[in-house]
Amino acid sequence: MICYSCNEAVRGPVCVGCSALQPPGLALDPFVLLGVPRRFHLDGAKIDEGYRSMAKRVHPDKFAARPAVERRMSLQWTASLNEARRVLKDPDKRARLLATGQAEPREKGGPKLDPAFLAEIFDWREQDEESPGALSDLARVREGDLRAELDTIFTAWESGAGDLTLVEDRLARLKYVTGLVREHVS
Amino acid sequence: MANIGIDLGTTNSLVAVVMSGKARCLLDETASPLLPSAVRYDDGSVVVGRDARDQAAAHPARTFTSVKRFMGRAPADCVADAALFRYTMDESEERFVRFAVPGRAPVTPVEVSAEVLKVLRARAIECLFGEPGGAVITVPAYFDDAQRQATKDAARIAGLEVLRLLNEPTAAAIAYGLDKREHGVFAVYDLGGGTFDVSILELNDGIFQVLATAGDTHLGGDDFDRALGEHVLTKAGLDRRDDADHRELLLAVEAAKRRLSDAEEATVTVAGATVTVTRADFDALIRPTVERTGAACRQALSDAKLTADKIDAIVLVGGSTRVPLVRTYVGALFGRAPYTDLDPDQVVALGAAMQADILTGSSQLSDDLLLLDVIPLSLGLEVMGGVVEKFIPRCSTIPFSASQSFTTHVDNQTALDLHIVQGDRELARDNRSLGRFTLRGLPLLPAGIPRIRVEFLVDADGILTVSAKEEHTGIESRIEVKPSYGLSDDEIERMLEDSIDNAETDVDVRLLIEARVEADGILTAVQKALGVDGGLLVPGEKEVIDAVVNALTAALPNDDRKRIADLAHKLDEVTAPFAQRRIERDLTLALSGRDAGEVGKQLGLKDSVARGTLDHTPGGKH
Repeated sequence: MICYSCNEAVRGPVCVGCSALQPPGLALDPFVLLGVPRRFHLDGAKIDEGYRSMAKRVHPDKFAARPAVERRMSLQWTASLNEARRVLKDPDKRARLLATGQAEPREKGGPKLDPAFLAEIFDWREQDEESPGALSDLARVREGDLRAELDTIFTAWESGAGDLTLVEDRLARLKYVTGLVREHVS
Repeated sequence: MANIGIDLGTTNSLVAVVMSGKARCLLDETASPLLPSAVRYDDGSVVVGRDARDQAAAHPARTFTSVKRFMGRAPADCVADAALFRYTMDESEERFVRFAVPGRAPVTPVEVSAEVLKVLRARAIECLFGEPGGAVITVPAYFDDAQRQATKDAARIAGLEVLRLLNEPTAAAIAYGLDKREHGVFAVYDLGGGTFDVSILELNDGIFQVLATAGDTHLGGDDFDRALGEHVLTKAGLDRRDDADHRELLLAVEAAKRRLSDAEEATVTVAGATVTVTRADFDALIRPTVERTGAACRQALSDAKLTADKIDAIVLVGGSTRVPLVRTYVGALFGRAPYTDLDPDQVVALGAAMQADILTGSSQLSDDLLLLDVIPLSLGLEVMGGVVEKFIPRCSTIPFSASQSFTTHVDNQTALDLHIVQGDRELARDNRSLGRFTLRGLPLLPAGIPRIRVEFLVDADGILTVSAKEEHTGIESRIEVKPSYGLSDDEIERMLEDSIDNAETDVDVRLLIEARVEADGILTAVQKALGVDGGLLVPGEKEVIDAVVNALTAALPNDDRKRIADLAHKLDEVTAPFAQRRIERDLTLALSGRDAGEVGKQLGLKDSVARGTLDHTPGGKH
């Protein structure tokens, strides 16, 4: 097979010449693939339904007796489909995808956290030294607040008001406080 | 040509096929479906099955049983098991396990398994009056990448085309689900001779989705035998065990174990002493082993995000589930009595045959059924400090792809070692090492600047391909992960050539048959497609395709393997644009109501395949 992107001969899913994953690739939009609306508030059952109907069309088992080109493409289609479901089923990934176009943080650790937020965490740590357990309690409350804030942002956006500029930062904060909760529970 | 399903078991192996819409196991000349997975290497001949098993005591050094325990494992991990079975490991080989055989070259577990598969293949040829199409071979769900690769290697040496590796519990669920037309959530509890698996599956809308799987590849009925054996020796006041005695003892206790499934007590005679074992004694001996299965069951439920009361039915698989204590334990664990309607020895092979039939594309059973399986253990890369960066979490539905970027840690670092591991422990050294490869020729840049993108792809057999690329320069490295403790292609080729049933001419004949089978498959597919979708052809295309079809049809009966393969390749090539139009049309239908045009554009579909040439051999046998 010839790579669609650099015209080099390619064997397997990834082109040796340009590293392009041969189509259908991961670039596929999960919302389109699963046939669900481009929203944050999604019905999990609808995701599964879209997944099942698509899986029946593209799964490698449906192509086992067909030529290699179809088998290979069906493998990639199904990998994309599985990834799409994984992303849309996870509220944080779904939120990031809507806000930034990518399900994973653009850089490792996500965007830089606001100094005021970090100062607050520092303050929590001090409180925790005086009364152990304070940190995880504060973190848990903040986790709830952040989720509620994200929910509000998306509710407004879905009704045509507001934008998603704050989402990436809030997700980074959420990841941080979730980490704190987990770390201090055990 | 019928596809076959094979259960390659630790203790027994079976082959099944769907005939007249019903799956059935193929029987040997004594009307038994079970082929004991025992192989004896005599001078110049190989004995497989019941004779090898029953005479193991007389030929302990040349007889191999339970080799499934050694498939795809590192020699260092096998020392204890080898000692248990009294096998002499060839210590000069560090990469894979090899057993010494008196008077002949050492053998690998892969070769031993291939001998078992050859007998099953011969049985299929006899019963089907011809070469089987392809085979679906079952593996424990908990088998890692290396163990799966080893199984595929064995099939290749035995001259079988593997259509799919299928997880054993999933096979069992297919057998039950199709048989009963059930809907709901199943737990499959599979306790075999040497492996334990539990899987949670949901059947919904014609799709079998594996929700979670867990298990232990070193837990099974063999452990019951051993516990009973130790007990008998102690009771009899014996401690000296040479090889022959040990084999004899294992056979005797295995028989006693079977009797204890129905009787309240059984006697074991060893070295002239007779020991009586009651059911209660036996239960006490095996309880610790049985209870070890509970942890995996709880793990699977937790991964599936379910509690035991959400399970609609429990299916028992594997001969060891005949043990009454196991049935009681499973009943208590899930709070309901397990299904036992199908023969636990046959259910996996029957399910494999059903999946094999579905994969023919013209199934008599259920065209609408689809199976979605998961990867049992997380896949990751070793990063700084020996920590594992997980790429693909366990219980992800396969096929699956994922990618992540890494960077260098020192200035002007020109090479990056990638160490791929499988498992769920935090440190790489606690997980299974699958392979290492090096991305060389990185540009001279300060630490942290290069961006190395690593991509993982797990196919529908659960087998992994990894590629890595430095994004600034495009330097790339790709491997089909050959497990660190696996066989290389060359080694497999050599084994294929060495293999007694495949003397040189046989190899040629087999390759010719393979070429014909493949060409025939392509011809059939093309003719079917032309019949259904002739309207999708563009002017002039039909003439080109017809010319190749005619040439190939004429070449098929002759013995010129290369010509057949070339023409088949050519046919695949000239029909690629047509195939592409059919896929696009199907996908457009699949996406009807969605923005299909946009989807196609993002994929660059047209471009890629119109220019495509094909390698249509599964597993790339070129």
